[in-house]
Amino acid sequence: MTSDLTPRRRTLQGLAALAALPAATSWAAIGGLPSAEHRDSSPEWERLSGKLFGGKPLIHGQGVVQLFVPLRAAYGASVPVKVVSKLPQRPELHVRKMYVVVDKNPSQLAMVLDLTTEVGQADFETRLRVDEYSHVRVVSELSNGELHTDSRYVKTSGGCSAPPNRESLHLIGRTLLKVAGELRLEQPVQADVTVLHPNDTGFELNQVTVMYIPPHFVRSIAVSYAGRKVFDADLDFSVSENPTLRFNFVPHSKGELRAEVTDSKDARFFGTLAVG
Amino acid sequence: MRSRRVLLQTAGLAALLTAMPARAGVPEPYAPIVLQPTLGPQRWEFDLTAALRRARSEKKRLYLYLGADNCPFCRRYEAFLQRHAAELAPHFAKDYLVVDLRSTLAARAEKLFIRIDDQVLGYADFQRSIGDERARQLVYPNVWLLDGQARPLMQMPSGAGTFETVAEQLEILRLEQ
Repeated sequence: MTSDLTPRRRTLQGLAALAALPAATSWAAIGGLPSAEHRDSSPEWERLSGKLFGGKPLIHGQGVVQLFVPLRAAYGASVPVKVVSKLPQRPELHVRKMYVVVDKNPSQLAMVLDLTTEVGQADFETRLRVDEYSHVRVVSELSNGELHTDSRYVKTSGGCSAPPNRESLHLIGRTLLKVAGELRLEQPVQADVTVLHPNDTGFELNQVTVMYIPPHFVRSIAVSYAGRKVFDADLDFSVSENPTLRFNFVPHSKGELRAEVTDSKDARFFGTLAVG
Repeated sequence: MRSRRVLLQTAGLAALLTAMPARAGVPEPYAPIVLQPTLGPQRWEFDLTAALRRARSEKKRLYLYLGADNCPFCRRYEAFLQRHAAELAPHFAKDYLVVDLRSTLAARAEKLFIRIDDQVLGYADFQRSIGDERARQLVYPNVWLLDGQARPLMQMPSGAGTFETVAEQLEILRLEQ
C-alpha cells in the first residue's frame, strides 16, 4: 500500500507518526535546514509561478503589497500570516486576485482570493500550516494586470504533522462572523470569518485505527454583504484547522454579512451576521 | 514496507539516544542556574523568583530552558550546545542568564507550575499571562527569552528544532524575528 509513496510523503508520514507517538507530551520535529533570504526564489516557486502566471513579470517589493510572517512561529501548524495592501480598492485600480503560497508544502497554493472593490482595503490575515523551512509568498494581481509580490522565509519544524484538534467535531462547519473593527458606513470595516473544521491534511495518523486520516478540508469561503460579493476564497489544507480570515468590507447601509462555505466532501455551511 | 518504516523510525530514535550527552541538562560552559522542581502529588513546580531577581540586579535577560530527563530532542539540543560551547557560551554570557528547569515528560502542561514571588500559575495560565502563544500545547524542550520582569522578549517557537545551528542560535540570542 505504501510502496508507491514518494520519499517526501514518506518523510511527512514519518513526522506524522513521530507526532502521534503515545508519549504524553509532544516533541518538536527536526529543523536546522539551510537558511535563505526573504526575497530568494526556490525551485518549487519557479515551477509554480510559471504555471500560475505563464512567465508574466512579477514585481518584487513592498510598494503595493507587504507580507508579515514571523521568522519563527509558536507552532508550525498555525503560522500567523498578514497581507497588507498599499492601495485602496478603487474601481480604477484595485487588487483583483491574491495568491498565497507556501513553497515547500505538499500543496503549495494555500489560498486564492478573488476580490471586489467591496473589501475597501485588500488586507487579509489568516493562519497557515508550514511544513518545513520555506518561503511564504503573496502575489497581488491588480486590475491593470500587474503582478506584485512579497515573500518571507519562515522556519518551522513539523507543522503539517502536528496533531489536529479533534475536540469539537460535532461542531464541524459552524461558521462564525464577527465585526472586529469600528462600524462606519462607506469605510472599510474589519471582520473575521471562522469555520470550525479540522482541515485534515491527510498526513495525520489516527492513533486508534493506525490509519491515516483522509484529507478533509475547507475548499471555499464566499463572503457577501447585503447581497453584494465581497470576496471568494479558494482554500487548501495548508490553511490551519478552524480556518479563519480577517478581512475588510465596506458597508453602504445596514445589511447582512454572509459567508458560504464548501468543504472537500462537498458539505455546505453558512454563517450570517446582521450589521448596523 | 510497514516493518521497514518502523525499523527506520526505531533506528532514528536510537541515533538520537546515542547522541545524548551523558547527563541531562544545559552543559556547564553555559553556567546554567539549575532549578529542580518542587514536587507535589501530580505537580512539578519551578520557582523563578531568585533567577529573575538576579537578572534584574545584573541587568541581564533570562534564557529559560525547560528540558525533560527522558526527552530525546532535549538531549539533541543539549548535545548541540555542548558541541558548540566555545562559540556560543560567550554570546549567552554577554546578555543572558541561562536557567535550566529540570523536568520530565510526565510533567504535562496541566501538571507543570511556574512560581514568581507569591504567584503560582499552571503552564497554560503562565503562558497566557505573558502573552505567549504556546499556551495550547507544551512541547519539550521549551525555551523562553524573558526580561527581568518575566516579560517575553519575543515569541519563541515550540521545541528547539529551528535553532540547532550556530547561526540560528545566534539569531535567537539577537532576538531576530
